[in-house]
Amino acid sequence: MSDPTHVHEEPETPEEISRRTFMAQVTVIAGTIVGLGVAIPVLAGLVPTKDVLDAGKPKWYPLNADEFAQFQKTATDPMKITFRKTVVDGYLMNTTDEYVWGVRMTPDQEAQFKADRPDLFQVPSGEVKYEVPVTYENIGIALFSPICPHLGCRFNWNKGAQQFLCPCHGSTYTKFGKHMAGPANRGLDPLPFKDTSGIAQVTWVNYDQTVADRVIVSYT
Amino acid sequence: MLNWIEERTGGISALKNFLTEDVPGGASYWYVFGSATLIALVIQIITGIFLTFYYAPSADTAWESTKFIYDHVAGGPFLLSMHFWGASAMIALMTMHLLQVMIWGAYKRPREIMWVIGVILFLLTLVLGLTGYLLPWDLNAYAASQVSIKIAGDIPIVGPAQANFLQDGLQMGTLTINRFFGIHVWLIPITLLALVGLHLAVFRHNGAAGPPADETPRKFGRFYPDQIFMDTVASLVTFAVIVALAMWLPAPLLAKADPTNSAFVPSPAWYFFPLFGLLNLLPGNMFSIGSFPVSGELIGTAVVPAVFVGILLLLPWIDRNRKRALNQRPYFVGFTFLSVIAVLGLGWYGAASVQAHIAASPGGQTPVRGYGAPPPGAEQAAAGGTTTTSNPVALGQAVFSQNCASCHSANGGGVPNLAPPLDNNPFVTGDPAKVIAVVDNGLHGQTVMGKSFSAQMPPWKGQLTPSQIAQVISFIRGSWSNHASVVTEAQVKAVK
Repeated sequence: MSDPTHVHEEPETPEEISRRTFMAQVTVIAGTIVGLGVAIPVLAGLVPTKDVLDAGKPKWYPLNADEFAQFQKTATDPMKITFRKTVVDGYLMNTTDEYVWGVRMTPDQEAQFKADRPDLFQVPSGEVKYEVPVTYENIGIALFSPICPHLGCRFNWNKGAQQFLCPCHGSTYTKFGKHMAGPANRGLDPLPFKDTSGIAQVTWVNYDQTVADRVIVSYT
Repeated sequence: MLNWIEERTGGISALKNFLTEDVPGGASYWYVFGSATLIALVIQIITGIFLTFYYAPSADTAWESTKFIYDHVAGGPFLLSMHFWGASAMIALMTMHLLQVMIWGAYKRPREIMWVIGVILFLLTLVLGLTGYLLPWDLNAYAASQVSIKIAGDIPIVGPAQANFLQDGLQMGTLTINRFFGIHVWLIPITLLALVGLHLAVFRHNGAAGPPADETPRKFGRFYPDQIFMDTVASLVTFAVIVALAMWLPAPLLAKADPTNSAFVPSPAWYFFPLFGLLNLLPGNMFSIGSFPVSGELIGTAVVPAVFVGILLLLPWIDRNRKRALNQRPYFVGFTFLSVIAVLGLGWYGAASVQAHIAASPGGQTPVRGYGAPPPGAEQAAAGGTTTTSNPVALGQAVFSQNCASCHSANGGGVPNLAPPLDNNPFVTGDPAKVIAVVDNGLHGQTVMGKSFSAQMPPWKGQLTPSQIAQVISFIRGSWSNHASVVTEAQVKAVK
């Protein structure tokens, strides 16, 4: 509690006013410097860095050799082929089991495949850049990402109906991934495949969902 | 002793001053919601600090440490559930407090600043609810937070930056958990506490507003003991309700977040049901302004909430009527009443939409801990039991999930427009011979229960053995809410 009898009395001389103004200004400036000095680096540090927003470089993952051999020999229906994938999540490195849908085809079916999926045989135009081109020319197989291009659910192969069917919203696709029915805007997404000295490998690509164009979001 | 303290701190006279505060018009149970909210906040802070002693925010540990709290911490499930229900209590009490202040006209001059701080406190509490929802990192946490981040990211202009700030990466992951943890545990609580202090300081400055009348009340009550007693009763009731909910309905924990399970249908916290209902009610594409398309999503997630919050924040300046008596401001009271009805209606509609979505989803909704989870030990029993069972229903479940669940969904709910539900379907529980015929030979273009479905049911004869067909039909006839008889292999073979 302040004592009302004791009051600061200072002369209202120009010097005194100037002195007080100066000290008030210094206080404000010093406070601003300290405040900004803390705020700027803190806020800048919260902006996601290029490292975490990096789409990554394409990586080649070897497919499960036994499954791929079986696929090449006997598969008449599309088949899940598994592989082991390493994903960087911030400061964590996770190893997860992933799979692709392998479709094996006869030369006749290959012609059908080309007719059904012109999108997989054209060089993409515009801003879409494929760092690893998908080349299905004359290899007799196709590898599809198991992620539905509609909203990212995982679809299944319905053997009876001979079509891929997404359980979430009912999009259906032919054996060659051509979009048949349901809300999806494009056919199944291809994954780059290569076979170097007998080791079958795949690159995992995350594509943008919903949109009609095939846009690469990241490689993981 | 008291004098000694008073001389050195001034605390005793400050306390007396605080306790002898006038309550215009006398103490009332209408005034308890603010202090009850404060009690809920204190419970949240204490239980929240407790949880940080065990919880570890990272994609590898968030769910695991939460489950650890359920399994290996003395009183862990109870305190965690108190934190879960305390959040609901806080939001419910705050809403009551807000409505009471609105109807009493207590936001009017000179209490505008106090009102604005109160509205900001309400919004910060909603952000606490939203960020806390992610931390257990279970299926619901993951899917619901993905929706929240998408909504934040779809707002024009500031959206992408907001989403980047929240997500910190191209996908939700361990860095997102760290962000939400920092926001939930440090940023918002500290801001909230500072603003609560300011809210109370301004309240002491202005004093209580008193009843909604325009003449000065003749009667004055005292804060202590009259109002304090009522506040205590309300606090005790609040505490008892939170404890009862925590004991009888422990917070559910679902299976760990799984980015590959995009079929999971997230359920928002109940206090976001009105927003969810609004979103479900609006059509996808509404109209365009120039070349800019305005979607129902944008209206529901950005425009309507922004207008709502804007009206709340500016209420003291929008409603410039100085009168506080209810009969002097019929439009305001009527409008408030209609708004409450609208919010409740949307909430009810939102809850119904969530239920409908969950009923049509392929599963993952059964918690592993908390309310609705199987009793401890059931997991092992189920895992050990299925391998040796000869029960046709249990065997049929495996056949079903491999072959049928992708269309008819794991809970038998089917997929709208695509494949009919099997649960509660009189055909399925009717004549076994007819069911066998459909499974054997397939079906297409039939109207089932008054609706048409586009997918083709393939003929399973030849793909499944008669015994597998018998098992799966036994399963669908005896699962979910179906209670029809099992079907034998002989019956399957008898149907041509």
